[in-house]
Amino acid sequence: MSKREFTVANEYHYNLSSPTRWIISHLWRNKYLVLCYMLASIAANAVYMNVSLLTGSAFNAVLGGSLDQLGHIALALLITIAIGGCADVGARIFPELVGKRFVRDARAELYLSLLGKSQTFHNRQQVGDIMARAANDMTQLNNMSSPGFDIAYDSSVALVMALIFIGAINWQLLLVPLLFTVSFLIAVRYYSHWLNPISDSMREEFGEMNASLNESISGIEVVKATAQEKSEQKKFERKAGIYRNLFVKNGVVQAWYLPPLFLSIALVLAFLHGLFLLASHQISVGSLVAFMGLMVMLRYPAFNTNWAFSLIQLGVAGADRILKILKEETDLDENEEGYRGDESGMRGEIAFEHVTFSYEGTPVLKNISFRAAPGQTIAIVGQTGAGKSTLTRLINRIYDADSGRVLVDGIDVREWNLDALRSQVSTIEQDIFLFSRSIADNIAYGLGQKADRAAIEQAARDAQAHQFIQDFKEGYETEIGERGVTLSGGQRQRIAIARALLTDPRILILDDSTSAIDSATEDEIQRAIHRVLEGRTTLLITHRLSQIRWADKVLVLRQGELVDQGTHDELLTRCEPYRRIFAHYAPAKQEQLQSNRKQELARVEVSEGVTWAS
Amino acid sequence: MGFLMDGLEAEAYDRKYTDRALIGRIIGYFAPQKQLMITVAAMVILGSLVDTAFPLLVSRSLDIVIASQVVGTVALLIAAVLFAGMLSWTFNHFRVRFTTRAVGDVVLSLRNHAFSAVIARDMSFYDEFPSGKIVSRVTSDTEDFATVVTLTLNLLSQVLLFFLLAGILFFRNVYLALLALTIVPAIVIVALVFRRIARITTRRAQRSLARVNANVQEVVSGITVAKNFRQEQNMYDEFVRVNEQSYQVSLRSGFVYSGVFPLLFLIANLGTTIVVYFGGRSVFGHAISAGDWFLFVQSMGLLWFPLTSIASFWSQFQLGLSASERVFAVLDAEPRVHQHASEPVEQLRGKIEFRKMFFSYDDRQNVLAGFDLTIQPGETVAIVGHTGAGKSSLAKLIARFYEYQGGELLIDDRDIRSFELGSFHQKLGIVPQSPFLFSGTVTDNIRYARPEASDAEVEAIARSIGQGDWLEALPEGLNTLVGEAGRALSMGQRQLVALARVLLQDPAIIILDEATASVDPLTEAQIQEGLDLILKGRTAILIAHRLSTIEHADRILVLSHGRVVEEGDHEALLRQGGHYAQLYNTYFRHQSPDYRPGEGFVQVNPNLAVS
Repeated sequence: MSKREFTVANEYHYNLSSPTRWIISHLWRNKYLVLCYMLASIAANAVYMNVSLLTGSAFNAVLGGSLDQLGHIALALLITIAIGGCADVGARIFPELVGKRFVRDARAELYLSLLGKSQTFHNRQQVGDIMARAANDMTQLNNMSSPGFDIAYDSSVALVMALIFIGAINWQLLLVPLLFTVSFLIAVRYYSHWLNPISDSMREEFGEMNASLNESISGIEVVKATAQEKSEQKKFERKAGIYRNLFVKNGVVQAWYLPPLFLSIALVLAFLHGLFLLASHQISVGSLVAFMGLMVMLRYPAFNTNWAFSLIQLGVAGADRILKILKEETDLDENEEGYRGDESGMRGEIAFEHVTFSYEGTPVLKNISFRAAPGQTIAIVGQTGAGKSTLTRLINRIYDADSGRVLVDGIDVREWNLDALRSQVSTIEQDIFLFSRSIADNIAYGLGQKADRAAIEQAARDAQAHQFIQDFKEGYETEIGERGVTLSGGQRQRIAIARALLTDPRILILDDSTSAIDSATEDEIQRAIHRVLEGRTTLLITHRLSQIRWADKVLVLRQGELVDQGTHDELLTRCEPYRRIFAHYAPAKQEQLQSNRKQELARVEVSEGVTWAS
Repeated sequence: MGFLMDGLEAEAYDRKYTDRALIGRIIGYFAPQKQLMITVAAMVILGSLVDTAFPLLVSRSLDIVIASQVVGTVALLIAAVLFAGMLSWTFNHFRVRFTTRAVGDVVLSLRNHAFSAVIARDMSFYDEFPSGKIVSRVTSDTEDFATVVTLTLNLLSQVLLFFLLAGILFFRNVYLALLALTIVPAIVIVALVFRRIARITTRRAQRSLARVNANVQEVVSGITVAKNFRQEQNMYDEFVRVNEQSYQVSLRSGFVYSGVFPLLFLIANLGTTIVVYFGGRSVFGHAISAGDWFLFVQSMGLLWFPLTSIASFWSQFQLGLSASERVFAVLDAEPRVHQHASEPVEQLRGKIEFRKMFFSYDDRQNVLAGFDLTIQPGETVAIVGHTGAGKSSLAKLIARFYEYQGGELLIDDRDIRSFELGSFHQKLGIVPQSPFLFSGTVTDNIRYARPEASDAEVEAIARSIGQGDWLEALPEGLNTLVGEAGRALSMGQRQLVALARVLLQDPAIIILDEATASVDPLTEAQIQEGLDLILKGRTAILIAHRLSTIEHADRILVLSHGRVVEEGDHEALLRQGGHYAQLYNTYFRHQSPDYRPGEGFVQVNPNLAVS
């Protein structure tokens, strides 16, 4: 845990070497609560066993003809159950405390660790996967402590106590309960070996059935349009049939659960044994009554342990998955001593020199070389999976190149201080993330509480967002997200641009694939984008032909290789894949475009700035 | 003892059927299993009877032993007890077996019914219900339906046991039985009050847990932003606050849950004390025998347990009924599309004719009102218009996904309502706005409409689109797994697969509802090349959102408020300066490669463009 991007003061350190040790170290943190629980459970069980003994002596008293004694015993019973009740409440409340604290602490631990992980880790990990651990696995931890541990321990105490009390009446009486305990353990072991695979595959098949049905329903338009209803029905019926068979099989196995049979046999044998000892005057009638009462107590440990152990198993498995995240090493060094830029910070020159990069064994980028002068806009074109996004991620060191060099201002990015580098390289991602807070908070996110309203509004104006923000009833205080307004893709993008403008980076990476439904929105977005490009080196991944067409330079990527690079006009004449992109736009226009190009370019130079800023 | 907690999280549900009707239908489903169910009922009754034998026989033998101190006479009774125990287990064994078999078969047939009901519905049904709800009706609700039965059986055996025991106690000694049963109201009240409190605390705990999870979700999804702007400390502080709150709330709920059992035990033990004391006095006064006294003491341990399940039965039973109701609602839903004949469709030339068509989705607002349109065989028609102009409705009517309210729709001069829809759909190719792919390989998906097509055929079709370049971008080519709903592929790749699927199907009529989502320029070019191929020699309706697609059309129709307001080709319509020119300025202007913000407007004649 040495490399981390974020830590807090007074952090409690748990043992991460194995799931069991991790669980124990969490319990150890609450050791006094655990100790209290153990004592309370022993007390409660002892007291409850005592009820049986007292009942037995009540029989002796009555059969011996002493009514006074019966009164005393009844009084003793009342006191006993009152004490037992108190101990029992303690024995139930302490595991709740321990369990809930465990979950609270584990959650905080996971959260802290997530904040400290590198971006590489978060890119690799799916949100849904982490959420499953933070939500489901945590619930399983909770169930493991209470009722899992609680019942397992409490049942064992009950079993041991019952045996001790039976032994105290007469050690010979232990014969039947001991035999029962052994045969019970064996039966349960066989039973779970038999049942577990069936219930596992049952769960699996239910998931399969659900998934397949879900698919048929989500794709209903295709199913209907291609007249495949019958084959879908057949598919479903087959899955439902498999599930039904497993369900019945599961029922048959459950029907074969032997311990209840063992218990009734044990009760009969115990009674017989008791009667035998009674007849040979080794025990009294009262002892026999007490003994039978204690035998019935065995029912509780006998029927709950199986469930408790499966809860514990699930909990340990959950702990294992959580631990995997906690232990994941982050492969980043912050490079405190590194280059921080010259006196004016970063200029924004980017150069790739023969860069090759593989991700998990698959080559993604092969021998890429290009340069971007400060302030230039470079468009990257290529199919999905061609390596466009990966290329941009080498610049702010989300990944490091395998061979070759990535230079910023002539300095290898690995020589840069990570903070200095990242604070000057800003990314506007394809899926823009906004927090469920007010719009103002989202724009000011990078500056924390420090940003003043005037600066926020100015950034929003520059990003062409001020207008639509004003149109909301609560303006800048409008909440975004589930409890507030839903923003369109174009609006989200403009807020992200405002956010970036406020922090003022030198290099900007813009993954711009928001689809604009109408041209008016597009006008707004483009004005905002142009404002943010001004004076910054920009790498642009875009679906918009016009942006590609007007970029300073275009890189054409194909399966990780840089097929060609140059201006729009150069590429249009010599690069076949590039030409295909524009082929479906009126050929008449393309001719016109050729002839007008010089004229256009001249016009652009004159009108630049004027047009954009308007 | 989990049943005391069951069903606490469920929400209320509006009921439309009466309990009587529901129970009647449920029983109807079990009718084919009549023999099995009768056997199960017999097992339940016999099991309960045998279960009461144990305390009874033991107390009897105790009496004999106390009186005579001879083991020999008791031997027979002991053998009976052993026999009763084994019988009890056996009855239970067969009860469980038969119940699962009956329930498994009933659930299976109900599921199959529900599925065929669902799949037979027209698209208006799918508009009304989100797919998640439909799925849970077919799988989870049918399962809950069965719990009504299992619950009832359980309750039956518990109630039987309770009344048998209580009856025996009353038979032995009314006075002592009355004393023993004083705990009954106490336990029932505790169980009911507990469920009330538990429901409230559970809801609170769930709400605060949802807050914690939302918080974690936010930091995980927004980690890039948090890191970029170094806001980790603030995020952490906020989390600690929410987490602490959740801890407090869930702790309280945990106390409620675990507090109830000591309370129930306490009451049961009080009952035991009462029986021990007053029973002892009765034995002393020779009102009952020592064996009976023992019977009372033993019964106290058995009596309180069924009470808790009786107390929680009703609300769970209602939940089961609600689930059954949801299933029946699906089965009973009225289909809206009616065919008056089912003539098979062999060959189609592809002529489409709308005559005085009236159509609305919800009977409130007409999407089409007296709509007329004829599309000639082999013609490619692009339809453009504002959102809500009725573009997609035309496609959905041709696909017969919805019923129309008036007029006629003729395909090759035959009424669409006379078609056998399966064979008609074979001749109709649809590329929906966001193409849905089934999990499996790209090949599986291309051959979805024609499962008998060979691998070579599939490959030839795939290669013919966009020179096969798109296959290179797939990691495993045609064998690439597309993932759940095709999510492993980009939107553009999904569209290419959908095009290939339609091309292999080789229909006479093509309907393409173009995606509005943007696609990377290279893939976009491949899609356009695929379109060139697919439109050849077919009647095609393109609902166009892209400038490049419009250029394929022989004829452009401008739709506004359910009417064709302009038609012609791109150049002519632009020159006209009417609705189309206006649409161009609003939707297509920015798609031109020469676009610059705020420029590229075409001239609109204000007199023509009043919409």
